Amino acid sequence: MNLELQKGSRSKILAAIIVSLIVVFIVRLFYLQIIQHGYYVQQANKEQLKRLTIPAKRGLIYALDGNIPVPIVMNQTVYTVFADPQTTDDNSKIIDTIRQIAGGNARDNLESLLSKKDSRYQILATRITRTQADKIKRINLKGIGFQEESQRVYTEGSLASQTLGFVDFGGIGRYGVEAKLNSRLTGTDGLLQSVTDVRDVPLTIGNNNIDKPAVDGANIVLSIDRNVQSHVEQALADGLKRTGATRGNAIVMDPQTGRVLAMANLPTFDPAKFNEVTNSADFNNGVVSAPYEPGSDMKTLTMATGIDKGVVTPSSTYVNTDHIQVDDRTISNASFGQTGTITFQHAMNWSLNTGFVTVAERLGDGSSITLGARNTMYDYFYNRFHLGQLTGLEVAGEVAGTIIPPTSEDGNAVRYATMAFGQGMDVTMVQVASAFCSIVNGGNYYHPTVLAGVIDKNGKYITNKIAGVSSPISKSTADQVRQMTQIARTTNFPGIDKPGYYIGGKTGTSQVAKNGTYATDETIATYLGYGGSEEMTRYVIMVQVSGDHKEFAGNYDAMPIFTDMSNWMINYLALQPKG
Amino acid sequence: MSYQRTQSFNSRRQKNWSRNQNTVAYVSAIKLGPVAHTVLVALMITVLGLIYLTQATKATSYDYATEKIDSQIAELNTQKNDLQIENAKLTALETVKNSSVASTMTTPASTDYVSQ
Repeated sequence: MNLELQKGSRSKILAAIIVSLIVVFIVRLFYLQIIQHGYYVQQANKEQLKRLTIPAKRGLIYALDGNIPVPIVMNQTVYTVFADPQTTDDNSKIIDTIRQIAGGNARDNLESLLSKKDSRYQILATRITRTQADKIKRINLKGIGFQEESQRVYTEGSLASQTLGFVDFGGIGRYGVEAKLNSRLTGTDGLLQSVTDVRDVPLTIGNNNIDKPAVDGANIVLSIDRNVQSHVEQALADGLKRTGATRGNAIVMDPQTGRVLAMANLPTFDPAKFNEVTNSADFNNGVVSAPYEPGSDMKTLTMATGIDKGVVTPSSTYVNTDHIQVDDRTISNASFGQTGTITFQHAMNWSLNTGFVTVAERLGDGSSITLGARNTMYDYFYNRFHLGQLTGLEVAGEVAGTIIPPTSEDGNAVRYATMAFGQGMDVTMVQVASAFCSIVNGGNYYHPTVLAGVIDKNGKYITNKIAGVSSPISKSTADQVRQMTQIARTTNFPGIDKPGYYIGGKTGTSQVAKNGTYATDETIATYLGYGGSEEMTRYVIMVQVSGDHKEFAGNYDAMPIFTDMSNWMINYLALQPKG
Repeated sequence: MSYQRTQSFNSRRQKNWSRNQNTVAYVSAIKLGPVAHTVLVALMITVLGLIYLTQATKATSYDYATEKIDSQIAELNTQKNDLQIENAKLTALETVKNSSVASTMTTPASTDYVSQ
């Protein structure tokens, strides 16, 4: 039997056909895979290759509890519940479930939302918690989906709200630290590029996969001590209630580092409900964003300038007539009767304007505030004490204020005479408090800061180094002015402080300029003081109260609030009395 | 009656290993041509393809396992985060101030200081 293929047999014809077909296939495949390679790779990538953004987590914000950082701003995953009205089938069950579980987070008009059959996406509830979402998921409702998002949680409620600020619905920090440090807190989103299956599950196959992890935002630790902050807010609220003031601001600083321990503003708001605030002014941190004429608080800095330049001492004398002439203006004291030859300490005790205009004159030729005197004052106020310029505090909305230079047309003798007792200039509380810190700490100026450090990836608290320090005045000058304010306080308000501590301060009652003139029915009351031991000042507190068409005095309205805070700080810091 | 062994019989016994074994070695005249070779090569490629697919599917199944573990990690992280938030809220000053323990606390009448 011969099984060999015969020439021209049917098998050979079949083989020829198969070979032809294979050739056709090969040619076609060559065309598709080689010639059209790029095109089909592109098409495949369109379908299979997904680019997923890995959202960076916004950094947490910590406050201090003593020396221990505690989180006060955190992130919580919340869910938006949405429906595809074209695929939902049991609307009444959906409505009942959503209302029962989501409660107040459910939309009011669920029936109408689900009846929109021409729509594929309707939001039924927003910002529900994971527990709520899980409950809804377990019911397995057809046509219902969930969308994850992150929201800020302010665990201490409205505490330090103007310092913290808030994050708007677009994820952007507004006001306070949230705005100022937005880029640091935001971090950088990551990227995941990968071949995915139909459920968008990333697969490891493929050559163009990219896995760039997200860089989470920095976890920052504020120098705000939540205990101090809480008490300051309470003391301020009590003070406002007692005085009838409608606005109150306070700052507590550590004069040895420039760190802000508390910064309070009333009225306040809850950052978690920022959208419910009716008056946007409540968002402002008045300590840094509301320049004002500091009034008599400035006398401490004028005195420091005079002593540092060697033209006066606390025991130097001048003749007080309750009035003093500067060019064409007569400047008067606020309180009369301390006439005659008196010391500058006496002028400080009674807050006599004439005494500090005299200091300004002695910086010049002794009888007038010359250009040289004005240059000296400007150098100390602006360059050394950093008044009228941004301090760089890490909160949004800081305003520089104004110190008019002597080179300006308005920088004349009358201007500088009024500046000597705190008028004719606009400064912020944080500027004044920071400058005052340099007086009570021995002559070192620290730029104020609300940042104490960061929490690193391992959860370790790393403290910031203290920022650069300058010396606006000598230690001797600082100590003398510090003692003057201690004497002023103990002379005017004996017995109100805990015994055995070294506490001093200066009252301030500022006029309010409106439409180019001073309002006759409105004043701002401030008190600027410190406490600690004779060897070391441990805290500086500045308080301000005000209200539209209301007159307040530093000694009656602001000083008691300082006293409340000061006595509490002594206990909180566990300071031991002397003697 | 007696039998005599023939020569040819003896010869067959010696040549074969066992009974009933085919004693004829058949050589096929069919030779594998180019078509058969092509088909065989195609079959081999198919088998290799299947092996590759098996391995690829295996890798993909690891992806699903990874995805599942990642989801579990994410879920546990979310739970951990929720618990941290709950902890922070429970230890918040306002909560502590309004606690039953705080409400029963009293202010000391006097304070003594000791040297440290």
